[in-house]
Amino acid sequence: MRKILLTLLFFLCITALALPKEKLVIAGRDGGYGAALQIAVDLFMERNPDVKIELLKLPYKGLYEKLVIDLSAGIGAYDIVMLDDPWATEFMSLGWLASLEELGYTLDPDFVSPALAVCHYPYPDGVLYALPHVGNVELFAYRKDLFEKYGLKSPPETWADILQAVAVISTKEPGVHGVVFRGRKGNPIVTGFLPILWGFGADIVKDGEVVLNSREAVAALKFFLLLKQYAPEGVEIYNSSEVREALLAGDVAVAIEVWPAWVPDLDNPEKSKVVGKVEIIPAPGLVEKSSPMLGTWLLGISSASRNKELALKFLEFVTSAEVQKLLTLQVGHAPTRKSVLTDPEVVAKYRWFPNQLAALEAAVPRPRVLVWSEIEGILGEYLQLALIGELSPEEAIGEATQRIAEVLGG
Amino acid sequence: MVLPPLFIISMETGNAVRRTWKRRWGQRYSYLLFLLPAFVVVIFLTVYPLTRVFYLSFYRYNPIRNIDRFVGFGNYTRLFSDRFFLIGLKNTFLFSVGATMTEVILGLGLALLFNVKFRGRKLLLPLVIFPMMFSTMVICAIWRSMYHYEYGIFNYALRSLGLDPVKWLIDRNLALWSVVLVDIWQWTPMAFLILLAGLQSIPVELYEAARVDGATGVRLFRHITLPLLRNHIFLALLLRSIDTFKIFDKVYALTGGGPGTATETISFYIYREGFRYFNVGRASAAAVVMFFAVGLVSVLYIRQVWRRER
Repeated sequence: MRKILLTLLFFLCITALALPKEKLVIAGRDGGYGAALQIAVDLFMERNPDVKIELLKLPYKGLYEKLVIDLSAGIGAYDIVMLDDPWATEFMSLGWLASLEELGYTLDPDFVSPALAVCHYPYPDGVLYALPHVGNVELFAYRKDLFEKYGLKSPPETWADILQAVAVISTKEPGVHGVVFRGRKGNPIVTGFLPILWGFGADIVKDGEVVLNSREAVAALKFFLLLKQYAPEGVEIYNSSEVREALLAGDVAVAIEVWPAWVPDLDNPEKSKVVGKVEIIPAPGLVEKSSPMLGTWLLGISSASRNKELALKFLEFVTSAEVQKLLTLQVGHAPTRKSVLTDPEVVAKYRWFPNQLAALEAAVPRPRVLVWSEIEGILGEYLQLALIGELSPEEAIGEATQRIAEVLGG
Repeated sequence: MVLPPLFIISMETGNAVRRTWKRRWGQRYSYLLFLLPAFVVVIFLTVYPLTRVFYLSFYRYNPIRNIDRFVGFGNYTRLFSDRFFLIGLKNTFLFSVGATMTEVILGLGLALLFNVKFRGRKLLLPLVIFPMMFSTMVICAIWRSMYHYEYGIFNYALRSLGLDPVKWLIDRNLALWSVVLVDIWQWTPMAFLILLAGLQSIPVELYEAARVDGATGVRLFRHITLPLLRNHIFLALLLRSIDTFKIFDKVYALTGGGPGTATETISFYIYREGFRYFNVGRASAAAVVMFFAVGLVSVLYIRQVWRRER
């Protein structure tokens, strides 16, 4: 009996020794983002055999809810958290993330500045709470072949050029709709509309006050409704998958919103009917210069983490030029470093990267307010009521302004 | 110390009394001990959350923004002036009535069909209850693609018949009913199973006796099947209305509440206010309204069943 017990004890000791000493838990996204982060995690564990990393791959809304519950209660179930940039103000101002400078991180000027600015609180140069991981920026796609065929201005520079072009293509090119965007209410429609709103010189919130109710905002919404005439039937409920399908099938001439992760498929003959025909540029401007929307994904360290030094080491690793380049070449990751976006080997594979860098450098972040998610929800509801004709543009903007003011008022 | 004899006797009597009392108490109330775990579970998982929701519905409470102040009926007055909530209430009601009624009627038809022995019945039965076994999210993804205006199979079929395509999820007046259709497809089997169980519990002798008296098809159904199936029909109605009143997942996956407010429902409203905006007070007030609505429906059904039983 004693022998058996001793043998068991021996094996227990061996297993304990064989177990990694340090463990990190990352709350990240699913899909392509998750796949990219997994490659980095595996590589990090290969180089640091003592470390075990658990990567949780969560859907967008699920991730937000889980993070808010964990971080607000200071549970510390996650060491590293992946966050969308509009959540940053909330997470950082409420002290849920650890200051990276206090942990000994020194700032790297290689990151594209708008993507780095949203990692600070107060925005844009306060304390550094996160590092930019995915250099997402809203891009604009148009069918260069069709623009050239009908003698349209290519690349289009203003929203007025776009409206004219989509009208011409819609009427002349059989089977092709002029334009497509995400019309589904909530985050999708707001994301599609923001570059137009900004391009028309309007804004939602300035210095903590709602400034949406303006002549420019109404004009932008009227313009959005004009564009809708040239969109496929049912655009009101389109989300990313429908926009992507329409673009890849060659059914549309212009997509006012595409994201870096969708773009590689456009040149993939197995998935796309428009190989080499689609040009990717920053969204056009009008009164204001081009104002593409910033959609960076950040990586931060939970204040309640018990493994902050190791977490920082991983953060530095995953955002390093070497790893970003590897992820970009392997799975089409959207880098946040200028050196990677301009790397000849990377540009040779992804021809639109110079334009992506230009868009990223001109990018405008969504308002840095604590309650963005609620403001986005409200705006998304009223934009859609206007899109389906239930409210006039004036009514929609007016009612949305009133409700956003209520939210900002507390 | 030596105790006087009388004292010893009285002590012994006391012990005996205590023992008898203990035994009686044990016999009469020991069931309470067995119920205790269930009580604890109910208190923590039902009573506490329910009272907390009632309490919070009178507060402007947002844990993220550290807002916590008493507003009386403020949340309720705001709810009933909120276009999204009012439309949600109307849609939920329409959805619940439309889906429940159709599911129970179709379920009854199927149950009558399957109550008769025919070749292949054993094979068909699992097929009929199949939709109920899938995950709603999977079902919705499939239906969403079937409903697609341009590429969906429904519109493909209509076009090949030379008919105009239908805007299933796009048309404001149709979207809610398209969601109802998915619910009917998925949950008619449940009504069917309840009603089939009911049908099979009706003694065959009753039919035989009625036949001897000259009753046939429709009269048998009206005077024997329907009255004896009444409680099962009410059960199916009750379960389906409670479930459809909570409709959330299909709306979330198929339309996101749109287009416009066409498929907005109370659960969706509560989810958005509570879990996306963390306006817990307002979400609680909406939940209280929903609680009373479901409670009212349940009481109505249960009273019908009890009245019959008495």
